[in-house]
Amino acid sequence: MNLKAASLSVLLCASAVQGVQAQTYTQRGFLEMGGTFYPQKAANDTAQSVGESLFRYEGFYRASSSFQIAGAIDLRTDTHHQVERDFKLSWQDREVRRPMGEVRRLSATYHRGPVAFEVGKQFIRWGKTDIVTPTDRFAPRDFLTVVDNDFLAVTAARVSYEKGENTIEAVWSPRLTPSRIPLADQRWAPPPTVNAFFPVTIRDAGANFPGGPQSGIRWNHAGPVEYELSLYQGFNNLPSFDVVGTQFSPSGIQVDVQRFYPKMLMAGGDVAIPLRPFTLKAEAAHFSSNDDRADEYGLYVIQLERQSGEWFFVGGYAGEVITNHGSRATTFAPDRGLTKTVLGRAGYTIDTNRSMAFESAVRENGDGLWLKGEYSQALGQHWRATLNLTLIRGEIADFLGQYRRNSHALVILRYSF
Amino acid sequence: MNKVAGLAISIVFALLQNDPRQIVEEAQRRTTSQSQRYEGTLQVVDSKSKTTEKRWQYDRIGSHGASKSILRFTEPAEVKGVALLVVNHPERASDQWMWTPAINRERRIALQDRSTRFFGTDFSFEDLEERDTDQFEYKLIGNESIDGAACWKLQSTPKQSKASQYSYSYVWVRKDNYAFAQIENYIKEQLVRRAHYTDIRNDQGFWTAHQIDMHDLKRNSHTILKIDKLQYNLPMKDDAFTLQALRRES
Repeated sequence: MNLKAASLSVLLCASAVQGVQAQTYTQRGFLEMGGTFYPQKAANDTAQSVGESLFRYEGFYRASSSFQIAGAIDLRTDTHHQVERDFKLSWQDREVRRPMGEVRRLSATYHRGPVAFEVGKQFIRWGKTDIVTPTDRFAPRDFLTVVDNDFLAVTAARVSYEKGENTIEAVWSPRLTPSRIPLADQRWAPPPTVNAFFPVTIRDAGANFPGGPQSGIRWNHAGPVEYELSLYQGFNNLPSFDVVGTQFSPSGIQVDVQRFYPKMLMAGGDVAIPLRPFTLKAEAAHFSSNDDRADEYGLYVIQLERQSGEWFFVGGYAGEVITNHGSRATTFAPDRGLTKTVLGRAGYTIDTNRSMAFESAVRENGDGLWLKGEYSQALGQHWRATLNLTLIRGEIADFLGQYRRNSHALVILRYSF
Repeated sequence: MNKVAGLAISIVFALLQNDPRQIVEEAQRRTTSQSQRYEGTLQVVDSKSKTTEKRWQYDRIGSHGASKSILRFTEPAEVKGVALLVVNHPERASDQWMWTPAINRERRIALQDRSTRFFGTDFSFEDLEERDTDQFEYKLIGNESIDGAACWKLQSTPKQSKASQYSYSYVWVRKDNYAFAQIENYIKEQLVRRAHYTDIRNDQGFWTAHQIDMHDLKRNSHTILKIDKLQYNLPMKDDAFTLQALRRES
């Protein structure tokens, strides 16, 4: 509670300062209204349209050339109870549903010469590849609608030292910020194969959050060839599941499932090599754990990037190698779910106001397919309308295929300020 | 004695007039400053005369081949915070990174991507680099007037180490103040971009165009960059022009 009050007061103070020292305070934000339309009903969710609204405000107060405070608040609501109905300003992001109010970011940065120190709730992005980024360990996401996800900030202290083309960065986070996973009673958490006579329902029995900090260190070289080595120890921000209870009744079986976040040690790296026809990017990481319930595995991504005229292309392949099977096979792992997959992304700028983008993921065995097309148009200096069409197909046992009834159209209208 | 001195000056001046490298080196010397800051307003006018407006703040430390610059968009609202870091090198093409706040990541702009348009404007990424005279070969083509001002017309051809999208350029340098009046950029034999420099003023001893009209002849669109609040030789720190600075201040 004190933390929430503190975050509010910092933002309010920053706002008050605006009038006194306008040149040291900048702000931006938007109000976004969106509607998602699903042509098919899901087994556990008959709703076919969802409305959402999000207001985001970001403020940056620069007290001096070496000290800055950055803050951001999200306020949101929706029609599908993916957002909580009781207002509170969330800091930890451990809620099952999206909070109605959230401190999205609140951090203070001090730098002196080559050393920079940032403390507070902040976004930390590691790695170079897109769609699947194995070394991006301090970047949990909101996966409530799995294929349209957004990053969550983590509470951490980060220090970096930059000299010439090299940067060393160390991060310490006192507690885990988990990724938010689909709600058990909604379409993005498809139930196990339904037996018409004896249906199975999944009940969320809460989470067993681990105690203890996470930490990581990264060395980045930004020469003509860019490369990076990183080491992380902490917990997987994506959960595994334990069955903690089963209830039989004449109407079916209810399975109580508890989330847990196994320990994780990651060693990885990435490289970006500019070649004449395209840029080659590769990223790989190995994940081990002293928790015998968790798998040990390696993820790798190889992608090619090219910009040509108004087009931007990214194409690649993501793979996985399991080195040791854990005792709990049930996980929610979009990063692993998108491996053994050919990935692609293309963007086209039609003119200064209009653009199109296409994304795709195709499983190498043909069991899953995800295609997304997006058209976006600016309307004047502040408004933008976006239409996004997503097609998902595949087998029920496949990570993508399990969402085959969730193809949808998404319409977004955003006012930026 | 005075006649001899006058003759010597005339000969030097005549030689200078005929040596294209001397001309561009003098132009570069006159624009060499420790730092520069301005606020730019960009009007992008497409082939159907539809206009959009953007604003950025530009900071530079160092000059020409040894400079670093950061350009941060301030308007329109949806691109506020997008930033470009350019690190120029005297011996090779620059390094460029673009920061996008929406994804909290920077992306290196690869050499082969420098010919593409910068954020919907008619400037390519390469056009945002600072030119260094040593990266080009020069030839004096003749004398022409631009906007009524007498100019030297030079042809500049990038050396192989420059790795430019352009095969060659014609550069018009004003004879009265050595400011650039116009640059035409060619790919093979086709004129692809023309930058026209107007509203040239003396700011703190530096002759500077306050309006640059960049015309993309392939698309038939143009971008007018108007420069305001221009300042030279402000105290700036080198650590404000790094990848870390790009992240923390956007």
